[in-house]
Amino acid sequence: MTGRRSEGSPAGGRAAAAPASPLAPEELEARLLAVLDERYHHRHPFNLRMHAGELSPEELRCWVRNRYYYQTRIPTKDSVILAKATDPAFRREWVRRLHDHDGRAPGEGGLELWLRLAEAVGLDRDEVAGLRAVLPGVRRACDAYVEFVAGHDLLESVAASLTERAAGEIMRVRIEAFRRHYPWVASEGLRYFETRTEQAPRDARFGLAFVLEHARTAEAQGRVLRALERKCEILWGLLDAVEEGSRPLRVASRVLLRDHPAAPPGGGMAVLPERAVELNATAREILELADGSRGLDGLVVEMARRRPGAEDVAGEVDAFVREMLHLGVLEHAA
Amino acid sequence: MSTPRLLNLVAELTYRCPLRCAYCSNPLDFASVEECLGAEDWRAAFRQAAGLGALHVGLSGGEPTARRDLPEIVEAAAGAGLYAHLVTAGVGRALRILPELRARGLRSVQLSIQDVDDEGARWIAGRSHREEKLSFARRVRELGLPLVLNAVLHRRNLGRVRRFVELARELGAERLELANTQYHGFALLNRGALLPRPGQLAEAAAVVAEERARGGIEIVFVLPDLLAGRPKPCMGGWGRKTAVVRPDGLVLPCHAATSIPGLEFWSVKERGLVACWEEAPGMNAFRGEAWMRAPCAGCDQRHRDFGGCRCQAFALTGDAAVADPACALSPHHPAVLRLREEALREPSPEPRLRGPDASSSSAPGAVARSFSRQS
Ligand code: SF4
Ligand code: SF4
Repeated sequence: MTGRRSEGSPAGGRAAAAPASPLAPEELEARLLAVLDERYHHRHPFNLRMHAGELSPEELRCWVRNRYYYQTRIPTKDSVILAKATDPAFRREWVRRLHDHDGRAPGEGGLELWLRLAEAVGLDRDEVAGLRAVLPGVRRACDAYVEFVAGHDLLESVAASLTERAAGEIMRVRIEAFRRHYPWVASEGLRYFETRTEQAPRDARFGLAFVLEHARTAEAQGRVLRALERKCEILWGLLDAVEEGSRPLRVASRVLLRDHPAAPPGGGMAVLPERAVELNATAREILELADGSRGLDGLVVEMARRRPGAEDVAGEVDAFVREMLHLGVLEHAA
Repeated sequence: MSTPRLLNLVAELTYRCPLRCAYCSNPLDFASVEECLGAEDWRAAFRQAAGLGALHVGLSGGEPTARRDLPEIVEAAAGAGLYAHLVTAGVGRALRILPELRARGLRSVQLSIQDVDDEGARWIAGRSHREEKLSFARRVRELGLPLVLNAVLHRRNLGRVRRFVELARELGAERLELANTQYHGFALLNRGALLPRPGQLAEAAAVVAEERARGGIEIVFVLPDLLAGRPKPCMGGWGRKTAVVRPDGLVLPCHAATSIPGLEFWSVKERGLVACWEEAPGMNAFRGEAWMRAPCAGCDQRHRDFGGCRCQAFALTGDAAVADPACALSPHHPAVLRLREEALREPSPEPRLRGPDASSSSAPGAVARSFSRQS
């Protein structure tokens, strides 16, 4: 059930080769759509489970909380694109995306609507908006998108946004799935999805026309295809991180957790066959929270609550959990 | 100097064993060591060990399952907060009592495998218990206990390393210890039959490297000190981490320490574990570095290998306070080279199996004298 990139998982496939000779616009469009069909995250196991109604409330909350970080990167990404553009007509069109996400006044726009979704699934909006519990894997994926746009030209940046071409459809399926399988989520929470069913196709039409018009050489066409693939990979990676973060963790049955005179106050030892791991008080606290009822995500959330002033709680908990998994102190509960 | 923290306790519960391995690490005079610690004595020792900071206890022997009160002893170890690890040959009652041991708090199991076939096992241990051992290993896994397989390597089975690895994988062991024979006690007597032929170790090392690359199991394989020219950090340092408690209660820094004459060790029965660990003169004889002379004193390796094995130094030179002759920097190293040459002479003798009579003809002191004469 894991969506980790492996052979056969869509986003991990081989990069499309640049066409040998320039494609006609319709051919390029078909190739772009094929990339989406194969690699967009509608095929990700986590998304499939969401739409099949198989996510637990905790898993759904994990996704909503973490995906908010992606939402916050979108206006940043669009500002970078605007800064690259020199054509006033392009900018007039593109700036609408900023308004869509940020609204024209406080309390409006896509970011606000996502926070209402957060409330509707039972999350605290300030906690979500504070971003302290964002999983490092999610953060890396989203930051990679902004970096991609910063490091590539306007054409490739616009091409990367073409996942919007598939967004309208996924939103429609999602609204259906939420109504049917997650009736406990108030319909007010679904407004973000609803607005996107209109915005995304409109934006995609503009973006696609721009790409088809400007990607005329085989070389440029290769670059836009790869840009769209890269973007699909980023979205896929985001869901990988969410999926991994919601897998419950527990202290392995072989591990003996105990006090020890050599350990720092409040800490102890995790004893395993042939070795032992010295724990400080925080390490022990995290291991005791790993009781099979929560995953990395739940541990990050709880530790962020317990350490209100601390910086990068998520990064530290993530690094610690990975090390403990590696040493066999923690394991994923079946 | 403050006493180092005890981390690991080896509880040699009994020297009784149905096998007769020609490399057995029990002392040559094992048959005359009385078994005088009862379950209550062990319980007290475990509590004190835990108080000193010990984390693991290896319940070993001989064959620990030969003791009827093993379940109580396991419970005492777990009750003291120690990680109870059974070191067994997996024969006799072992299979039958395993579920009870687990219920009483046993956490992991090390099973010794003498060879991959009956003939090899009989050659080295007098008898084979292949099927019994395999059933035992499977039962360990069924009960959800981590399994370690331990195979002692020598001339006769070094060529079968791959089959050991296959067996370990098949049995679901998470770790395979391919332990090259340490030449003390019985193994030293049998060096003529056991020392590897030239090339054997390199071949085995290559197989290990391949199998490690395949993953799925941790494989421990360390080149034997006599052949590597590098001493091993014996027991992680004398009296530094590990205490061995014999069936008669004597507390030692390693299995072979009584082979060095003149050292005074104490018994848990008389003084309790804390005093035996912290104060016994023998325990302090080679603690730290104060005892070291050239070339160890001042050597930059001394924090890593602690000057090597004291028992080996004594066995090969007659002086326990010199650098381990396995070290190429030791002036006695040529004795090791000669020992190797001599042991590799044809024809290869049959090993003398462990038994109460093994010590009569060739006590370690005699070996020591013969080598110091030659060097
Ligand atoms: S080494 Fe062999 S003879 Fe010695 S205790 Fe272990 S199984 Fe028994
Ligand atoms: S001289 Fe002593 S300390 Fe140095 S490597 Fe040899 S045995 Fe070790």
